[in-house]
Amino acid sequence: MKEIKKIVAKILEIEESKIDENSSPENIESWDSFNSLMIVSEIEDYFKMKFSTEEILAVKTLGDILRVIKSRDLENTNGTK
Amino acid sequence: MKITELDKKLKDGEKLRVSILSNFTIDALAKSLKEECLEECIDTDIEISPYSQYAQQIVEKTSALYKFSPKIIFIILDIENLLGDFFISPYSFDGNQREKVFNERFEEIENLLKLLEKRINSKIVVNSLLLPINSSKGILENKEEKGIKNLVGNFNKKLENLAINDGQLFIFDTNNFCMKEGYSNFVDKRFSYIADMKLSTSAIKNLAKEYLAYIFPLESRTKKCLVLDMDNTLWGGIVGEVGIGGIKLGPNSDGKPFYDFQKKILELFERGIILAINSKNNLDDAMEVIRNHKYMILKENNFACLKINWQDKVTNMIEIAKELNIGLDSFVFIDDDPSNRELVKKFLPEVKVVDLPKEPALYCGVLDELKVFNLFNLTNEDLERGKMYVDQKKRNFLKDSLDDLNSFIEQLDVKYDILDDSKKEISRIAQITQKTNQFNLTTKRYSEEEILKFIDSENFLVKSIRIKDKFGDYGLSGLAIIRKAKDFWEIDSFLLSCRVLGKKIEFSFIDEIKNDAKSQNIKGIIARFIPTKKNSPAKAFLNEAGFKLTGEQGESKEYLFEI
Repeated sequence: MKEIKKIVAKILEIEESKIDENSSPENIESWDSFNSLMIVSEIEDYFKMKFSTEEILAVKTLGDILRVIKSRDLENTNGTK
Repeated sequence: MKITELDKKLKDGEKLRVSILSNFTIDALAKSLKEECLEECIDTDIEISPYSQYAQQIVEKTSALYKFSPKIIFIILDIENLLGDFFISPYSFDGNQREKVFNERFEEIENLLKLLEKRINSKIVVNSLLLPINSSKGILENKEEKGIKNLVGNFNKKLENLAINDGQLFIFDTNNFCMKEGYSNFVDKRFSYIADMKLSTSAIKNLAKEYLAYIFPLESRTKKCLVLDMDNTLWGGIVGEVGIGGIKLGPNSDGKPFYDFQKKILELFERGIILAINSKNNLDDAMEVIRNHKYMILKENNFACLKINWQDKVTNMIEIAKELNIGLDSFVFIDDDPSNRELVKKFLPEVKVVDLPKEPALYCGVLDELKVFNLFNLTNEDLERGKMYVDQKKRNFLKDSLDDLNSFIEQLDVKYDILDDSKKEISRIAQITQKTNQFNLTTKRYSEEEILKFIDSENFLVKSIRIKDKFGDYGLSGLAIIRKAKDFWEIDSFLLSCRVLGKKIEFSFIDEIKNDAKSQNIKGIIARFIPTKKNSPAKAFLNEAGFKLTGEQGESKEYLFEI
């Protein structure tokens, strides 16, 4: 979460402390649709994973992004077992 | 230095105005380009045309573009947005129709560019169109006379022809850039569909780096002189240790990366880049390679200045600038040793220091990636500059002015570890006596068996030193062999690999020996300097370390340190 906050804060140009799971375009002014894509792109690079188009479009809050990352983690662990 | 330079510019309000005209979402490029420019201390004001309004901006006399009055304009058009279905499914149309559409689009763009050039005298950089990577014609695609690849290729060719004799217009080769990025890194179809972003975010970041090639000459940041190290840069290995026959340089196997690297450098010389050498070496060793090595591509008359000595590289660099009478901000410095690079970066921030990778196979690529030698046009004088400076070799010297060298060394965070009579390292210890020529007081060579005898003997002490600094571990890189008598110790051998020279480790090492001697109530330490052709770097050491000259036998000198 710490790294994610860092990534998001950098793109949105706000303080990390102002970011939590409920952060969204609703409550952060600089979070526009373009920055939304930048966040996804940077997170993809960091976690070496890809969102599907559907998942990108479904992102409404930071929590949504976290859920996608978690679902990939689960797939990976299942895969190795 | 960099900060103050930037501060100055900011105060003067001298921002470089850049416009980007596009037919797709490219907002991220403004941010990336601004960041890249700031890295180079160029403050920019970047405007992006409103979504897809590149043509309106050019046609409308009172548009934001002309009000902004940029010094440089980048025009980047996505082929899919430019041609629509003629690009997505070109073979749904017949060949003549396809050709007609391509011709029309080209004329439109040609007219826009002509209009733009008439109205503004900024530099204009147009990205060529991206070639399709696949086609429904499959293996027959390139047999189509009016095939899609052919048409895009012709379009780009015509674009380039427009620019050939036009000092204002430049064509950025999109396909070349895409080759470097790899197509799958270049586009991100998801983002393309979601937000009409035709370039991936990573491609945009790298595109900004590519654009610097146009920004540098605009800001008079073009570099003139390439300053080179020698050992492990122009050839593999250390000539002072392995000799002219032992260095890696030639058309085969492990000499080839250096051989090719030199050819690339010669090519730069031939296009007017001044070459100079800044190397820690014995002059004779280095000159022997330059003059007599069969595969040495760069010759004496390619270098405008040769600084081959044991001075630090910063002093040498200042001297080169003085002798050639060009500013330090015109220099590019290439050295395989990160601590030398750090030294130059720290003391001469205006010099462009290239971070050479450890892998020689990558050297050529690094040179190709340098975007600092670009000019908007090459005059005959530019082309001849390298030779001119060679002809004008002048000698004038600058006084040493490096009071801060000690603090730099402190910052290197040099750490060492000294081991007494360590049997584990016998083979390396023997090897280092065999190979070390430069910083070696007596140049005595020993075999593993002989080293073992020293270690086992009560009368000898073998001290080896492992050294590391913040750039990495140099491993076992120094050695002292001491003969122990009742009241006096005698230094039989004392040497350091030249990789670790310039960090003043020799003084710490000798202090350690002095302290040991003291703790064992020894009255003094005797040491000798036996000169060879190669060990001049060690000549002054004993004197500097507080030893007193007590006698001379022929060329050999004997010293004593009284405890």
